[in-house]
Amino acid sequence: MSAYRTGTPLDRRRFLTTAALHGATVVGATALGAVDADAAFAAPIRPLDPAVAESAFAEGRITAINDDVLAVAGSYGDHSRVRVTGATSVWKARATTAADIETGDGLYARGVPLPDGTLAADAVWVNIVNLDATIRGIEKTRLHLAHGHHEIVGNLMAETTSAAYGTASPTADLSRLTIGQSAQVLGAWRPSDGSVDLVRVTVAPGAGRRR
Amino acid sequence: MSALVCALAPLVLAGVLGPAGAGKLFGRGTARQASRTALARLLRDGGRAALALRTLGAVELLLAAALLAPPVTPLPGAAAALLGAGFLGYLGYARAAAPGSSCGCTARPDTPLTWRSFARAAAVLAGGAAAALAQQPWWAAAARRPAAALCLVLAAAAALTALSADPDRRWRMPLRRLRLRITGHPLAATGGRTAVPVAATVELLERSRAWQSVSRVVRSALLDHWDDGGWRILQFAGVYGGGPAARPVLVLFAVDAGASLDTVREPAVRVSVIDADSGAPVMATA
Repeated sequence: MSAYRTGTPLDRRRFLTTAALHGATVVGATALGAVDADAAFAAPIRPLDPAVAESAFAEGRITAINDDVLAVAGSYGDHSRVRVTGATSVWKARATTAADIETGDGLYARGVPLPDGTLAADAVWVNIVNLDATIRGIEKTRLHLAHGHHEIVGNLMAETTSAAYGTASPTADLSRLTIGQSAQVLGAWRPSDGSVDLVRVTVAPGAGRRR
Repeated sequence: MSALVCALAPLVLAGVLGPAGAGKLFGRGTARQASRTALARLLRDGGRAALALRTLGAVELLLAAALLAPPVTPLPGAAAALLGAGFLGYLGYARAAAPGSSCGCTARPDTPLTWRSFARAAAVLAGGAAAALAQQPWWAAAARRPAAALCLVLAAAAALTALSADPDRRWRMPLRRLRLRITGHPLAATGGRTAVPVAATVELLERSRAWQSVSRVVRSALLDHWDDGGWRILQFAGVYGGGPAARPVLVLFAVDAGASLDTVREPAVRVSVIDADSGAPVMATA
């Protein structure tokens, strides 16, 4: 097990790949709730295990980071402390680690309240935004978006940004996006310049046939 | 040149004030628009604000007509400059009192308060001052130097269009569409990408029976993912067992890296739950 505990990330991944491929194979389909970035906007998941306290939720701007505890000032004047552990998933435009979390970032966190008043986070979504927008310009590295009266620059990220056309699965093909389309944009806001790193751009069914 | 600018200022200013005034005076949406402006807050009544907007529209139309007439008196220009100064004062108030409101300055139904609103008001002020100094009718000046006059009017029109309430919709978007038609889609190269994004794999996993079989164990969202030999490994954190016996586990799924809901409805997913500390398998999931 040395590779698992103390090896390089590559060794660890190799070990975990082997473990995953030795697992049971399950075939079949059923519709279930989500735990991807969209889950940040869904109702808190009620654990099926009765031994687990019901999930709590925290949101706001990170005002300070002390080791593994994030001080969070909520949008409604409340304050919370969110504890990030090795088992906490961190989303910041992609699955990443707590090292990427910075003071000033916005966050949504889901987790379990601890007796010391902190929230032990199961999952945190950093700077996540989900907004209705209109595509007003397309360039090689960015989209120009309008959200209400706000103009937003959406940064396209190689390997990460996907588009969903109607109900089809997300695809890396962004060539069917057109100027004037209404789009649901999921991404990570950059506090430094107000732009948004685009993760998924969903446009209406049938969109993209017209050029 | 400055004499030409002063002579043509009434024409340009009339071109700005005329349509804006007509829109306010005769526009069907004026009453609806008025309630959303900072004017409604200033006058404490949407009805009064609508009346004020229509009156302002009539004044703008009269001023436009006076500006087009021969410049026998500097009064129309001075009045336009005064109007511009009034706009600036009102915008300053609106910015402070109701920053989210519509400015109500153009005939458009919903115009946000931006720096463009202030620039438009300043342009009216400057244009009014120039018109007040005009020594000759605009048509005489234009006839004397037609090319320069045409360039000036076009430049003023371009500047005013850039300052219009919604430059994106009016000229930037059509220009960008045209550019895309001429140069091709900037993202056309992505059309050939066949790699399935992780988002599509996660979507497929979340609708699978494999996910259902271990969802009671999973606590985190996606912790990590990587591709290996055609498989895409998705790693989650979880808790196995309850009460004092509960222990942290890693939940690993292996999914065909090329599969998505578009290509397969019932994916074969390999599931493994291992102890987070020792790496030993802890649960049979079949």
